[in-house]
Amino acid sequence: MKALKTKTWILLLGAVFLLLAAVLVIQKLTARPAGQAQVWVDGSLQKTLDLSVDGTYRIESDRGWNELTVKDGKVAVTAASCPDGDCIRCGMQNSGPPITCLPNRLTIRFGAAEVDGVAH
Amino acid sequence: MKRSSLAVLLSAILLLCLFTGCAGTLRQQDRTVFAMDTVMSLRVYAPEKDGTLDALEALLIELDRELSATDPESKLSGLNSSGAASDRALADLVRRSADLSRRTGGALDLSLLPASRLWGFPSKLYQVPDPEALEALRSRIGMDKISVTEEEILLTDGAQLDLGAVAKGWAADRCREILEENGVSGILALGGNIQTVGKKPDGTDWKIGIQDPEDPSRNRLVLTLAGTHAVVTSGDYQRAFTENGVTYCHILDPQTLSPVQNSLRSVTVVADEGLLADGLSTALFVMGREAGVAFWRSSTDFEAVWIEADGAVTVTEGLSGAVHDGDVTVVKR
Repeated sequence: MKALKTKTWILLLGAVFLLLAAVLVIQKLTARPAGQAQVWVDGSLQKTLDLSVDGTYRIESDRGWNELTVKDGKVAVTAASCPDGDCIRCGMQNSGPPITCLPNRLTIRFGAAEVDGVAH
Repeated sequence: MKRSSLAVLLSAILLLCLFTGCAGTLRQQDRTVFAMDTVMSLRVYAPEKDGTLDALEALLIELDRELSATDPESKLSGLNSSGAASDRALADLVRRSADLSRRTGGALDLSLLPASRLWGFPSKLYQVPDPEALEALRSRIGMDKISVTEEEILLTDGAQLDLGAVAKGWAADRCREILEENGVSGILALGGNIQTVGKKPDGTDWKIGIQDPEDPSRNRLVLTLAGTHAVVTSGDYQRAFTENGVTYCHILDPQTLSPVQNSLRSVTVVADEGLLADGLSTALFVMGREAGVAFWRSSTDFEAVWIEADGAVTVTEGLSGAVHDGDVTVVKR
């Protein structure tokens, strides 16, 4: 009886272990990486941002400057020399259409797109 | 070299060319163009150095110079200041747009620039105008104040033309012609106006997301479309401002000269022509959902998607098979 109990416990623990392992594997397979964002100015790639690393970056060009902040896997323009501030109002993003600063001709594009284009 | 060896060598070269596509290899080529007050992403699948992207960029820069309502040097500004212009291409655009305005019962109106200026939309210096000042503009507004022949455009009673609702669609049509003349396929995003041309080289359909008005980083639904299409969205979340808790969008109702206030967050139109899709997306937004669905039922040349403030999505039956994901109501003829 005692031996059977031990065997049951081993089987149970084994099942729990297998379940946990399966959950971990599924999480690993389906986890969306923080990804990257590319910073373009006037059609030229200026910088590739690793969105898993928090930080602040200043992008300067002849037209002006934009301060980019990466936090919690997302990026935002947090300050800029442009007059309208539309780029700042885009907020923190890590997917979707590019964040754009028209006066400074800056765009922040996100990793591999799931679609060919977005109508908006 | 023996004849048989030569044959083997030539066959090997031929096979290599077939597998690598050394003659006429299609390469994905991308370019960003800043024009028409927006950022444009151009992607073509063409042989290297075929010049398609250069031609597209030159065209878009030229159209930007011609059609800008804010550039005092543009052809459009010249027309608005003098009240007359002689230009065959511009007249063609205005005539087609005027036809679309008539077809939509005036929901598309190109004469709203004075009212739009009073609201501060072109300058982004937004304000809620004095109702009397707005009403005083009535005498300058109306499509009847725009007359156009094959080459001449005439504005009367101080009317001013704003091509913002049709210019990018027109540009997409002109770009499409270049791609078709060059025999290449591609996808162009002129701001939020999408133009697909031809087939993707991998044989799959184009996947076009429709932005979620509540969350710009997400697509509310995805359309899968084969071949050449224009996909244009008009929404209340672009170029909008909030004052005293009320949000005002940049699309003006010709009846009230004020930003449209109805149940809609966005309307997307899918059509063969960019100008048609662009103009109709604005007109259908002004009409509201019910009138828009009725208008679609009386038409045969477009399909549409309506997204409402409560999250409801309506698609026309021609798109029901193209909806990749999303919970939608399908309307039928």
